[in-house]
Amino acid sequence: MLAIINAEIVPVSGDPISGGTVLVEDGRIVALGTDVDIPDGTRIIDAAGRTVTPGIVEAHAHVGISEQGLGAEGSDHNETTDPVTPHMRAIDGINPRDDAFREFREAGITSALVPPGSANLLGGSAVVIKCAGDIVDDMVMKDPAGMKAALGENPKGAYGKRQGKAPATRMGSAALLREALTAAAEYLEKKEKVEGGGDPPSYNAKHEAMIPVLRGEMPLRIHCHRADDIVTAVRISEEFGLKYTLEHVTEGQYVAELLAKHQVPCAVGPTLQHGSKVENRERDFRAPIALIRAGVPMCFTTDHPVVAGQFLPLTAGIAVSWGMDYDVALRCITLASAEHAGVADRVGSLEAGKDADIVIWSGDPLDYGTFADVTIIDGEIVYEREV
Amino acid sequence: MHAYIGAKIYPVDGPPIDDGVILVEDGKIAGIGGDLPIPDGVEVVDLSGKVIIPGLVDAHSHAGMWGDGEGEASQDGNERPGPITADVDAIDSVNPHHTSFASCREGGVTTVQIHPGSGNAIGGLCFAAKTAGEVVDDMVLKAPTGLKGALGENPKRGAGKDSPKTRMGTAALIRDYFARAREYGRKRDEGKSPDPDRGLENVLRVLEGEIPFRVHAHRSDDIVTAVRLCEELGIAYNIEHCTDGYLIAGFLGERGIAAHVGPGLSSRGKVETANRHEGNAAILAAAGVKVCLVTDHPFLDARYLMAYGGVAQKYGLSFEDTLRALTICPAESIGVDDRVGSLSQGKDADFLVLAGEPFSFKSPVLATFIEGVEVYTRPTL
Repeated sequence: MLAIINAEIVPVSGDPISGGTVLVEDGRIVALGTDVDIPDGTRIIDAAGRTVTPGIVEAHAHVGISEQGLGAEGSDHNETTDPVTPHMRAIDGINPRDDAFREFREAGITSALVPPGSANLLGGSAVVIKCAGDIVDDMVMKDPAGMKAALGENPKGAYGKRQGKAPATRMGSAALLREALTAAAEYLEKKEKVEGGGDPPSYNAKHEAMIPVLRGEMPLRIHCHRADDIVTAVRISEEFGLKYTLEHVTEGQYVAELLAKHQVPCAVGPTLQHGSKVENRERDFRAPIALIRAGVPMCFTTDHPVVAGQFLPLTAGIAVSWGMDYDVALRCITLASAEHAGVADRVGSLEAGKDADIVIWSGDPLDYGTFADVTIIDGEIVYEREV
Repeated sequence: MHAYIGAKIYPVDGPPIDDGVILVEDGKIAGIGGDLPIPDGVEVVDLSGKVIIPGLVDAHSHAGMWGDGEGEASQDGNERPGPITADVDAIDSVNPHHTSFASCREGGVTTVQIHPGSGNAIGGLCFAAKTAGEVVDDMVLKAPTGLKGALGENPKRGAGKDSPKTRMGTAALIRDYFARAREYGRKRDEGKSPDPDRGLENVLRVLEGEIPFRVHAHRSDDIVTAVRLCEELGIAYNIEHCTDGYLIAGFLGERGIAAHVGPGLSSRGKVETANRHEGNAAILAAAGVKVCLVTDHPFLDARYLMAYGGVAQKYGLSFEDTLRALTICPAESIGVDDRVGSLSQGKDADFLVLAGEPFSFKSPVLATFIEGVEVYTRPTL
């Protein structure tokens, strides 16, 4: 057992607890509060008045799959041989030895949703993992955790003029996406008819991968920056009755009411990115502030390595400097991110029964100068800062 | 004349002043201190509870010349075909209406040194400008301020089969071109007018000490190559990026080199940036290197330069050194410290009003002043 005592606990899901204890057993939080009995033999960590929060959750990070410092050799997130590759699985491209995992732990990031890239209209399935381990399969929290889709500049940039094949335009992207959804739906219909005596369709890996999306068992996670791409994502998803999330949502401020009406979960960012493309020219903190104001469920993302994941807490801090409520900003890198990734039953807040993913901070977790002093994943200390 | 009163002032070239006064007239600082008489008829602005620091100076920026949300049409940083484009001048690529200048003002950056890109071994002339204006020539503070050089991965990526394809190839090209420039200068001095060549003339300005060579180098071996080349040539120089500098801090410190460290807050996309470490600036400063924190805008959006300062401070750069690395140090490195980089009488009235102590999310830039004019006012979102 492990007990963190003398902590300024910020559970995120509830009121702060001053001078509290978090008790951990078998990788889970078993109790927290000011009146927690600590059994004999428990390992004690004295937080000495420092802030203790849930581990930070990255809702959209290409950690391990777009590796650092390796150039082209580290790039395994876009299978750019075909714009429709739903049968790719991010887990098959993740290298747990990517040094970025160390940076994540040092920054207090304990879990991440890793999607394929956005070059393809359907890029493959995402996976949610813990940020420590040697074998990716042992790190998995949820797999598959959504199907990556993309609209806007990236697919037409990867194909179109470059490869001499569709899509070359935004409408071409939308048409191919609809075609893939329709074909998969027909395949599913045939499969379902087998029980009623029909012939089974010949196996199709792409269509198989889309079945959980069509059945609403996992969301389509759609890359879109510009407001018109956001609207196209909503249009197509609503047409097919899908469960869906939006990724990036750079111009969300222009369509916040639409997103609120459909209650579309949005992972906003990478806000600190430079204007690498026309579609992200309006990146700043107007979108997140407008989305929160409109009541849209949202969280922040760095899109690591587009912005290094370690700067996710700093992103939330800058949002506060732009006027976002502090508690909301902290929620947008913890519980809201866990909700976005579909793992809020396990992480994102400090509650009895949840995974013991915990961070002890040297100061205010959102301030630029604050360190994660201790990072704990599943009750194990995975990082401790040398002072 | 305006008097800004009540704020805590960090002049940078002197101790902090609580409840200070800055008098501004005709775009210049007419007076600064804790107990200044305010002349009659002066418009008084009460900034009690706020903090004033000098406008930030960014010694490595591509403001106005690089994509930044405008795509291919605004990619004006690297002239092709390279690898030697010593004849080009960054000023001819800069659009004052580009969004990047608004980003600079929002982030409190009032002076930039704008470089050509690092795609070429010798990339062209750099210049220094203020970040507000309609006509680039009116924004110029000093031109030229240096000649851009580049080592490492970028120049190797040049088009087709042209050299350089290796690091030694890049160094050889630079050596050869400088040797030609020296020859060109000798002929000129002997009264044999050589065929006019603007590229060689620009290199001659480096050889004759008018401007420094500003060399892009990330990896420690590239940094050492830059030092080797520049010492061989006997020219003034500084290192741009200096990502691996902390690995050879003593080597750089004993030479008193200026390092333009950045872009901050970035990931490690390239092999040559694999050793990126947030403690680089602090380690270099401790070794005696003149550290300037730079954005390399757009690679770090100039809006976040102050946050980058916060991160450098977090990893050991002292508060004073961080402030200096964003103001007076880059002003000196660019050669414009007679005008900007600190708040003292006679200097340009380039200053920022912050909500509180610098380098915290609690202290956004509330207003940016350039030569006494408020060029940015924080909007309420």
